[in-house]
Amino acid sequence: MQGLLSVIEKLKGSTEQEVRIVLLGLDNAGKTTLLKSLASEDVNTITPTQGFNIKSVASHGMKLNVWDIGGQRKIRPFWKKYLENTDLLIYVIDSADKKRFEETGLELSELIDEENLKGVPVLIFANKQDLATASPASEIAEGLNLHTYRDREWQIQACSAVSGEGVQDGMNWICNNIVNKKKKK
Amino acid sequence: MAEDDSEWVVESIVGYLGSPEWLIPVTDFLENKCTVFDDEDENKLSYTEIHHQYKKLVEKLLENYMQEVGINEQQFLDACSSPFAKSKTLQTVFQPILATDDFQMFRSLMVQKNMELQLQALRVIKERNGALPECLTDGVDVMTELQQQEMKILQEVLKKSKEEYDEEMSRRLLLEEEHGSTSSSCSDKPVTKSDDAHNATTAPSQQSNSTKVNSKPAKKEESKKSATGGGVEKKGATSSKPDCGSKSLESRVLPAVRGSVKSAEPTVILSPDTKEQSSSQTAAEAWLEEAHREAGFSKPYTELSASQQEQLQQRAAYLRQQRDKLHALKKEQQKTKQTITAEAPTTPTPAPTTTLEISAEEKKKLQKRKHLADKLKEEVIKK
Repeated sequence: MQGLLSVIEKLKGSTEQEVRIVLLGLDNAGKTTLLKSLASEDVNTITPTQGFNIKSVASHGMKLNVWDIGGQRKIRPFWKKYLENTDLLIYVIDSADKKRFEETGLELSELIDEENLKGVPVLIFANKQDLATASPASEIAEGLNLHTYRDREWQIQACSAVSGEGVQDGMNWICNNIVNKKKKK
Repeated sequence: MAEDDSEWVVESIVGYLGSPEWLIPVTDFLENKCTVFDDEDENKLSYTEIHHQYKKLVEKLLENYMQEVGINEQQFLDACSSPFAKSKTLQTVFQPILATDDFQMFRSLMVQKNMELQLQALRVIKERNGALPECLTDGVDVMTELQQQEMKILQEVLKKSKEEYDEEMSRRLLLEEEHGSTSSSCSDKPVTKSDDAHNATTAPSQQSNSTKVNSKPAKKEESKKSATGGGVEKKGATSSKPDCGSKSLESRVLPAVRGSVKSAEPTVILSPDTKEQSSSQTAAEAWLEEAHREAGFSKPYTELSASQQEQLQQRAAYLRQQRDKLHALKKEQQKTKQTITAEAPTTPTPAPTTTLEISAEEKKKLQKRKHLADKLKEEVIKK
């Protein structure tokens, strides 16, 4: 029922633009830490996510509703239930976890093929750059074959969710990108 | 004309959102599904499924409504985007619809509902028992207040038990003199021991007496006693006393027999020189203290013993039971309501029927309805 959704949007009566962002990645990639860091919350008491977290962040005159869904293998099948009406995908990678680069690449490519994420811009955070063993973002981009993505905007951003470094750069890209996209419409 | 049309529809929607056709299924859904919603920061995966079900329910209800009233989606949409629909008062009315699209709003609705049911269950328990069972209270201030009350009771109990012991002793002496034959079957020692045992029983019996006077804490204490009874009984020396408490009357009638049975082992351990009043007094005191301690003041959830854990489990089960009962009750109420409305479906539901007439474009009634609507609007806006 297409109609109801549009009705509801009108009912809200707010002029603020809302953006739905889904935050995914393998377990222990740092999704919840990133989410909390975005919301300027304490990042020291984070435990593995069994369900999902939502935070609303105001940025560039928009309301970003960020959904962080647990990344454990047994939860991953639930990811696709959260992809509907998504404006942007953030994919987080533990840059120091080289053993699982292949696994994380597979998960990402499956997401890219999802019908609900067709044409949806993707921002990849190469997280944990504060660790000495972290691979540089360029190397990860190559490993993921990001340059082959033709059907959407994409960006890879090195960051450390713990220190906050690089996070804001990523958010700026998101906001610019979404503003551009909505203008085109 | 289009403006007027939308106001009409808005009013009819508002009417529908207040009608049993909408309220019953929606409340039913909320009450049935809210149990898993807690106020933890993290959301459970199951919330999403429930939210999805809710969306479907609301969609279905609104579809039915539109069909019934005879408006199409476009009219509905126009109405909802009219300035009238966006007034503050109506925003709250529309909240259940908004919750279909706003997970956070839906979640807070569910959490609130769950809380309400919990409180309701607690209230029912309180009404039924006079006070909450020990296992359902954990507030510190409540504890200290109870502690004071119970200390008072205990002091009273000790005093009375001493008095009664004295009295009993003198009476027993008299009795023994009068009916030497009854006690003759028992040896001398057991009899005196039975005195002692009985003395010990007077303490609990006295306690239950005094607690009956003080209505609220009384019931609590009794329930606690029965709850901790098992634990107390295990402690060799003080064994068998708690259940004597409840049968103190009986034991008063047949003191010798009971006493001799009991004196078999525990009392000997308790106080070797049984005749000494002070020692038995302290025994009674010790027991009371123990009961007192076990009754709850040692209870803070930090060091959970097996029995306490059991209590917690009992609490959970109890709460669940209460909630289920509430559910059943509400459902029944709703059913009776439904049957009532079903019996006379045409007359008592003005909103849908009148709007139907509008869609049929009966001008007279339309005007009448408009009048009414204006009035309603005035009232709403004035408020």
